[in-house]
Amino acid sequence: MIYKVSYVVIGKPHLGEIVNLEAPPRVGDRVQVGGEPCEVIEVIDLIPPRENFAYLHVTCRPVQEKK
Amino acid sequence: MSVTDLLQQSELFLGLTTRQVEQIAALGQEVAYQAGDVIVREGDPSDEIYVICSGTVEVEVSRGAIADVSGPPRLTSLARLGQGQVFGEMALVDRGVRSATVRCVKDGTALYAIPRQALWMLCDSDHHIGYVVMRNIAADLSFKLRHRNLRMRLVGGEA
Repeated sequence: MIYKVSYVVIGKPHLGEIVNLEAPPRVGDRVQVGGEPCEVIEVIDLIPPRENFAYLHVTCRPVQEKK
Repeated sequence: MSVTDLLQQSELFLGLTTRQVEQIAALGQEVAYQAGDVIVREGDPSDEIYVICSGTVEVEVSRGAIADVSGPPRLTSLARLGQGQVFGEMALVDRGVRSATVRCVKDGTALYAIPRQALWMLCDSDHHIGYVVMRNIAADLSFKLRHRNLRMRLVGGEA
């Protein structure tokens, strides 16, 4: 399965990102969106899957990386 | 991984056979960019559609630019696109000039560039390929619009 994922970062004028992944993101995952560290807080099916493609929308919140 | 394998990772070719994707792959070539490189510039003529094989690009539009005023236009980022994504597809459909500037974000970003005219001719000569490619372009544009709408709703700002 290929997961076409739309990422949006909550609470800031962030550009978001669209990318294909081999595994679906899960709530609690740490990801880089637009080059910034974020935590996944919601994953929803954006539209029904088509053949070997699934379409997800992921909402993230910014996190501060530990120094 | 072969070019055909890479292209089959893109939604643009979903529903086509390996042989049909090979036909499309034969039309184009792989090109590499470094971070900061401008791949296409808003307002320029459009000749190619691009599939991202690896790396990341950023899509930007100018705001408030007036042709007679000197200085660089203010650019607003719309989205970043990663592996498997497509850009330049609007020009394939409407043959207009580039609607946005696309800039490379990661060194070594690899794209597959397919000449618009050659792809258009293939779609004209093989209507099944043409139908599938156009349907997939419509689906991709719809996905990008949904992404933008959700982003607007969450950030409460301008797209």
